[in-house]
Amino acid sequence: MANSTADNDQPVVKATPTPNPAGTSTVQTHPKTPKKQRSQWAEVWRRLRRNRMAMVGLGVIVVIILTAIFADFVAPYGFREQNLRLRNNPPSREHILGTDDLGRDILSRIIHGSRVSLQVGIVAVSIAVIIGGSLGALSGYYGGRLDNVVMRAMDVLLAIPSILLAIAIVSAFGGGLVNVMIAVGIASIPQYARIVRASVISVKEQEFVEAARAVGARDFRIIVKHIIPNSLAPIIVQGTLGVAGAILAAAGLSFIGLGIQPPTPEWGAMLSAGRHLIRTAWHVATFPGIAIMITIFALNLLGDGLRDALDPRLKQ
Amino acid sequence: MRFAKSIAVALVLIIVAGTLFAAGAKEPQATKTQNRDTIVVAMGADARSLDPHETNDQPSARIMKQIYSTLMHQTEDLQIEKGLVTDYRVVSDTVYEFTLPSGVMFHNGETLTSRDVKFTFDRMREKNAPAGFLMAALDRVEVIDDLNFRMVLEFPFGPFLTHLAHTAMSIVNEKAVTAGGADYGRSPVGTGPFKFVEWRAGDSITLERFDDYYRGPAQASTIRFRFIPEDANRAIAIETGEADIVFDVGPNDFANLEALPSVITSQITGLTTFYMGFNAAKAPFDDIRVRRAINLALDVDGATEAAFLGFATPADGPLPPSVLYANQDLDGYGYDPAEARRLLAEAGYADGFTTSIWTNNNPVRVMYSEIFQEQLRQVGIEVSIEIMEFAPYLDRTALGEHDMFMLGWVTVTGDADYGLYSLFHSTQFGDAGNRTFWGNAEVDRLLDVGKTNPDPAQREQAYMRAQEIITEQAPWVFLANRDELNATRNYVEGFIPHAAGHHNLYRVYNR
Amino acid sequence: MHKYIFRRILMLIPVMLGVSFVVFTIMFFTPGDPARIMLGERAPADEVALLRTQMGLDDPFLVRYVNFVVNAVRGDLGRSLVTRRSVAAELFSRFPATMQLAAAAVLVSVAMGIPIGIISATKQYSVFDGFSMALALVGVSMPNFWQGMMMILLFSIAIGILPSSGYGTFWHLIMPAVTIGTSSAAIITRMTRSSMLEVVRQDYIRTARAKGLSESVVINRHALKNALIPIVTVIGLQFGYLLGGAVLTETIFAWPGVGRFMVDAIRQKDFPVVQGGVLLLALTFSLVNLIVDIMYAYIDPRIKAQYK
Repeated sequence: MANSTADNDQPVVKATPTPNPAGTSTVQTHPKTPKKQRSQWAEVWRRLRRNRMAMVGLGVIVVIILTAIFADFVAPYGFREQNLRLRNNPPSREHILGTDDLGRDILSRIIHGSRVSLQVGIVAVSIAVIIGGSLGALSGYYGGRLDNVVMRAMDVLLAIPSILLAIAIVSAFGGGLVNVMIAVGIASIPQYARIVRASVISVKEQEFVEAARAVGARDFRIIVKHIIPNSLAPIIVQGTLGVAGAILAAAGLSFIGLGIQPPTPEWGAMLSAGRHLIRTAWHVATFPGIAIMITIFALNLLGDGLRDALDPRLKQ
Repeated sequence: MRFAKSIAVALVLIIVAGTLFAAGAKEPQATKTQNRDTIVVAMGADARSLDPHETNDQPSARIMKQIYSTLMHQTEDLQIEKGLVTDYRVVSDTVYEFTLPSGVMFHNGETLTSRDVKFTFDRMREKNAPAGFLMAALDRVEVIDDLNFRMVLEFPFGPFLTHLAHTAMSIVNEKAVTAGGADYGRSPVGTGPFKFVEWRAGDSITLERFDDYYRGPAQASTIRFRFIPEDANRAIAIETGEADIVFDVGPNDFANLEALPSVITSQITGLTTFYMGFNAAKAPFDDIRVRRAINLALDVDGATEAAFLGFATPADGPLPPSVLYANQDLDGYGYDPAEARRLLAEAGYADGFTTSIWTNNNPVRVMYSEIFQEQLRQVGIEVSIEIMEFAPYLDRTALGEHDMFMLGWVTVTGDADYGLYSLFHSTQFGDAGNRTFWGNAEVDRLLDVGKTNPDPAQREQAYMRAQEIITEQAPWVFLANRDELNATRNYVEGFIPHAAGHHNLYRVYNR
Repeated sequence: MHKYIFRRILMLIPVMLGVSFVVFTIMFFTPGDPARIMLGERAPADEVALLRTQMGLDDPFLVRYVNFVVNAVRGDLGRSLVTRRSVAAELFSRFPATMQLAAAAVLVSVAMGIPIGIISATKQYSVFDGFSMALALVGVSMPNFWQGMMMILLFSIAIGILPSSGYGTFWHLIMPAVTIGTSSAAIITRMTRSSMLEVVRQDYIRTARAKGLSESVVINRHALKNALIPIVTVIGLQFGYLLGGAVLTETIFAWPGVGRFMVDAIRQKDFPVVQGGVLLLALTFSLVNLIVDIMYAYIDPRIKAQYK
């Protein structure tokens, strides 16, 4: 159940806390041997390409990634260059998107801000995927008491509203980029643990895993070679949506004033700093807001597209 | 499957019913309501408690101001006059005698006597009231008879009467306090013009006119304080008429409201000083040349204009000009980066140094920090900004872990003692208020004179000199004194803002 | 079945213990001294130290934790350090506002999500599908506090029909509910869509079509009925999340809910409120999920069988 960006008040929205036996919406991949995988991914790509909305999303994301990589070359000004005589100037030829309350070029700050937002999104999701994924894999593979303990721990994390968890973590250990990424990451661990566990359980009883076990393959090898590749699909979908959720979560933390430290240009911080100016200098909040919106929108389009493409039941 | 459907329908129905029942219990109301009798006041935060001995925060004080009375009264132009008392006599430097009027009623029907006064100040000490430090000089209250009492001080204290006018010195009634028990702060009883009716946590507090108020009933029959945390939304509330009075308009919204014919805006000089302090116990800020250099390197006026949009007076010294004994002849530092570089070189920092500015997440302070970070870079000083939560921020600056820090100070009493002693006296290092850890024997002596000498002329002289030294020694970068920005609908009469923000709503009414 | 319910309720105990432990630990590491907070910045150090001892703040971590749990089990969550009022009273005075907003937001998201999901599923890959999914995604893509501001500018100022902030009447509820509801509509939409997509491929739907029933009858009578089950689950979950998750929206609209109160408490280091509040929200969340799961098991015999 991948419901990533439920309420963007929440850093991350959680997966079903209880096993979903019907599994209606969980993306399930049919187990396949490594050999067949390449052609399977080609098939996925073929299906994805047919989905126009998803391709638009993908295109936008590629552009944003390129912008982030080449920010220093693309941005017309430095992101911390101030000019107090040019405060809150509306869009003009020199400053295409205008200037902010310290006379900084908004376009340049949005361009540099793409780095921060992508970084937050990707690192937070990576933290969640690595920790949550490992816990889920171990839990699903070994079952029994370990499974029980891990899953109860996940229930605990799920039951605490994730934005409050993130706020409490940042409040305890301080703001700043690294802590924000960790806080948002931790809050979304359970959903990945659940997804991976579910797919591990469905895969581990399959014949080819039994076969590998029969020929004496070690647990670690079986997990890495067979089980992980087979749980990739739902993680990719959830991860794409998760990046969107993490970006919104970081923006939310900035709104509360617990976000990333200045002068780092974070979109959420720019948006919340500009919200006081919404009636006198609309552009200060609006453009960072649009940047967030486009990014989240694109990630969601891509995530939905991937879900369709990866779901074998939807094969026509 | 019929079951599934009925469950789903039931769920939806429950949600709908719950919503409508809970939300729609009252009549729908249009946004624009001009109710003759009810004054709606929008302010930024909920009160914490309405027990004057439990808290010393501004939102609570603003409401207690309407419920309680104090012995002395501070007018809107910061003059101290008789409040609850009809008469007072300064018997000696340490003995004051007061007379109460007869027949003053508490909201619970009790009559005010000297014993209530004694109870109030005894309880303040017993409960370790957060504002108790204001009465540090008070040794005891002696009841002479029902209407006469004596206050005996431990040491002579110049601003004693001024402090008696502080809202935290509100007189409470023993019977009501006992009846209220641990939740007295939720059922306050005073002698003020309005009595407490209802508190909807996080949303509003409603007060009602007290008809037996000893100065005659107030104009408005009901006052409702609404708590709207976002600046922009408070401004919108007055624009749409959802509020009749709004406290603390954001600078960005003020100009908008000024242009509206339906709204009357008010801008007065406030009592809040913004400053950036140096940790003078730490190199390089133990060097006066570095402190002066940084003062010169910063375009403070430009930064203030950006941060307050002109709704503040740049500060040339430590006190806001409206405070009693503020020195108006100080020159401040001005903006001179060349001189700053010269001073830095002289101090041995020709190549600059690396340091940090600490602040909490107050937007104005963050803005100053960002501007200063950039301006200090111009003279070779690399600054990192650390924004932290207010509680750890206060803790850690009290311990002296910081380099430079952004803070503000409200001289609520309007007296120089309050505005200088805690911040610059060397006995006040750390928690007590002096987070610069800067001390100066002469300033200590002058501040002691000002504190303990009841003679206004000598106090004035001491404070003038103290401010000169402080400005010259530059333990702070003196930033700005914020204006108090408030607004009312054009039909609201009788609203006179108070510089400390504790506005008295006794005479307010909707025309 | 009863055994299953009983087991699930028993399982709440370790989860609640875990929740309290996690929160207690984080707050333990949060800088800020509760005794100092109670006495104020200006209190002398020796008085703060005395109060610390009285409050048991100098005890070892585990002792403090056990004391907290024991008191909580007895129903005593302590008093707020900031308002001095009992934590239970503080929380319960805000809980109705939170419940209302969560319920109304779910209603909005259902009203948007289910129709869009159905349209999108029955016309998969069409322009219509793309358009309606895009519509559902707009809400989720806008940061809530921004969407809230924009709605205020539109409905309170430009048009002037809705109150800009506050709590109390139906009209006050609309904008916050829509703000949150639109951002969770995407989830309901997704769930409806994938659930419908699966159901319409089932044999009995083909049979129904083959019998010559009209498309609308097939969709409404047969497909939707079966697709609803997982959707109901998601609705229940959303309701659970929204209880504690609407912090930013509550701030923008000055809505006096538990979420905003909790954020203030975290920031003011009001430890008892944070601990009690998180417990309340976690318990509500778990109970809502439990109810949904039980309903779910009742509805679907296959699941019921599993839990016998």
